Amino acid sequence: MEYVSPEGLRLDGRRPMEMRQLRAEIGTVAKANGSAVFEMGNTKVIAAVYGPREVQNRSQQINDQALVRCEYSMANFSTGDRMRKPKGDRRSTEISLVIRQTMEACILTHLMPRSQIDIFVQVLQADGGTRSACINAATLALADAGIPMRDIVTSCSAGYLNSTPLLDLNYIEDSAGGPDVTVGILPKLDKVTLLQMDAKLPVDIFENVMGLAIEGCKAIANYIREVRTVVCFLLSAKSSISFP
Amino acid sequence: MVGLSVGEKHFIQGGIAQDLRSDGRKRLTYRPIYVETGVIPQAHGSARVRLGATDVIASVKAELGKPSALQPDKGNIAIYVDCSPTAAPMFEVGRGGEELSTELSVALQRCLLGGKSGAGAGIDPTSLVVVEGKVCWDLYIDGLVISSDGNLLDALAAAIKAALSNTGIPKVDVAADATSDEQPEVNISDEEFLQFDTSGIPVIVTLTKVGRHYIVDATSEEESQMSSAVSISVNRKGHICGLMKRGGVGLDPSIILDMISVAKHVSEQLINKLDSEIAAAEASEEES
Amino acid sequence: MAAKPGSAPVTYSPNLGQKTRPPIFKDNDLDWVRPDGRGFHQCRPAFFRTGAVNSASGSAYAELGSTKVIVSVFGPRESKKAMMYSDTGRLNCNVSYTTFATPVRGQGSDHKEFSSMLHKALEGAIMLETFPKTTVDVFALVLESGGSDLPVVISCASLALADAGIMMYDLVAAVSVSCLGKNLVIDPVLEEESYQDGSLMLTCMPSRYEVTQLTFTGEWSTPDINEAMQLCLDACNKLGKVMRTCLKEAASGSQE
Repeated sequence: MEYVSPEGLRLDGRRPMEMRQLRAEIGTVAKANGSAVFEMGNTKVIAAVYGPREVQNRSQQINDQALVRCEYSMANFSTGDRMRKPKGDRRSTEISLVIRQTMEACILTHLMPRSQIDIFVQVLQADGGTRSACINAATLALADAGIPMRDIVTSCSAGYLNSTPLLDLNYIEDSAGGPDVTVGILPKLDKVTLLQMDAKLPVDIFENVMGLAIEGCKAIANYIREVRTVVCFLLSAKSSISFP
Repeated sequence: MVGLSVGEKHFIQGGIAQDLRSDGRKRLTYRPIYVETGVIPQAHGSARVRLGATDVIASVKAELGKPSALQPDKGNIAIYVDCSPTAAPMFEVGRGGEELSTELSVALQRCLLGGKSGAGAGIDPTSLVVVEGKVCWDLYIDGLVISSDGNLLDALAAAIKAALSNTGIPKVDVAADATSDEQPEVNISDEEFLQFDTSGIPVIVTLTKVGRHYIVDATSEEESQMSSAVSISVNRKGHICGLMKRGGVGLDPSIILDMISVAKHVSEQLINKLDSEIAAAEASEEES
Repeated sequence: MAAKPGSAPVTYSPNLGQKTRPPIFKDNDLDWVRPDGRGFHQCRPAFFRTGAVNSASGSAYAELGSTKVIVSVFGPRESKKAMMYSDTGRLNCNVSYTTFATPVRGQGSDHKEFSSMLHKALEGAIMLETFPKTTVDVFALVLESGGSDLPVVISCASLALADAGIMMYDLVAAVSVSCLGKNLVIDPVLEEESYQDGSLMLTCMPSRYEVTQLTFTGEWSTPDINEAMQLCLDACNKLGKVMRTCLKEAASGSQE
């Protein structure tokens, strides 16, 4: 199948190095300590952060740092075909783990010993790149909850189809079976915290694709910073604030 | 669970007794309702309803299926509710969220789908049949609780009503030689959509009894103080389409009858308010 | 405990319901008889017996027509460690069906909601504050499903709780009514339930005259609601007396 037309356009009309439209909203879940909605094109996820608070299960308490927990769930209606039993399958357990490890690396856990931070991410619509969108939403929600972090984490994916590196794969490109590189970075420290790839790629091309994904992460980081500065301006208004 | 001090509890109870609740409402006033339709483009119909800090999404998906042998002239409608852990940490997998989800699903089925024979249903299941006994639409209605601040059932019912108003079922053409026993071939149209008649869909009014009085649209703080609650679904004609007591202590039968008449009265305003909100949401969706 | 002769059809296939369907919807047809020959406002004969399970703290067996239910109660016993402290007792209810309960093996719906409905019907009657930090488990098993399963389970469970010596305000009696066309039919059998237009289930504490659980499905007008509720309350009263007699018999039997 042709994923990039001879004119250099992808199936949804984007250029190979073009990202989908980003949209973020902070403070959507009134009861949570921090929350955010993050959209990348048709992919839409909502993240809520509860904590830091008392550890619920005493046996999990860590004496010198905070316990970070994460749960990823998909809504029944999030995919094209309706899903039946979405809760607790292996894929969501894996993604929960990935998100937890990524966020744990940037939260200053040693400042909040014997406490617990819960991150819940809920996918409302899945159209490729849910992993990245979840991490970006979780970052915003953690920032909204005022949890101390080393830096924000941003994530973006890139792939390689029809001998072209493609940024921010959508569902059709994702399910083509080609390589899919998901990168998470700490933009200010310029460090990679998450790197995943399926399928295989020659090393020199991999460098290209990863570089592209990192560029994507940086662009998202700029957007997230923008969102946060505007929020700081409007902090007095506690209602939910959205950005086109 | 909501942790409240003794003072706060007295404040809530006292406020309700004096017809002035903590957020300034009267006993029978709803919080403002915000409706947004078409929030899930991948579904056939969807809506998001916000009721104060309670936030729910409902989506409608239709799939072609086969009617059951017992009722060949009816399509299947299923309602599922999922409580996202984003709404409250206690909805995490294996920690009580499932129980609440089942309770809400069953209550919605009871209140919106009518009796076993389909009489009194908000959506006419016979309208979903394409070829009698062979092909019909299976309607899957999914509710998702995103943020929870009490009165989930009323919000979900409102969201489902809005989502169904927003739903377009593709028109289906049946191949002419559908007389044989074989499964007829069908052609799903991409352009023509059929809309539901949603005027018969009831709204649910939950009356929460706190002390000697009952209130509508309780917040989670108020719900924690309830002695018992009754959810009543009422349609536009003022008929009761379902009722369910939601636990708590026993009630005198005369009190229940009184609650039903109060619910009927409240539902009129709620239906009108909801209908105008849905119309406004549909209009703004078409504009954008 | 044998079934009364001729009380209900022994078996029937789901298609049978289809064939008998038209007469139900003739509203003027008042001569129509119910499948088991009862009058519209006549309940099935009820049979209750306590002490059906030896290992349980309390248990009861109930039989109404072909609906047969057994309920055992365990506790009050210590709550699980993982649960947080609570100054009231906890009630844990579970309703399950045997695989042979339904006419076609294993084809009954899963009745997930029955457990929480049972819980709600009973919680208003039990004095949970009398046994803090403990749990009472109520396990109900439907041996044979012959219609009005949930009301029978609820009545039987309250009897089992009484047998276990759990403090209650009153026994809980439950009755359901089906609406078929314009007719109200009390204590419906499975066949009637499968094509009802609406149903109402009411559980109440007869001596306190309090409703602990009430559910409606289908469309109801106010006069119908009044009539159906009166019918149920009256039936609950009578059912409560039967249950009381059963308890008295059990108590006098054990004294001898």
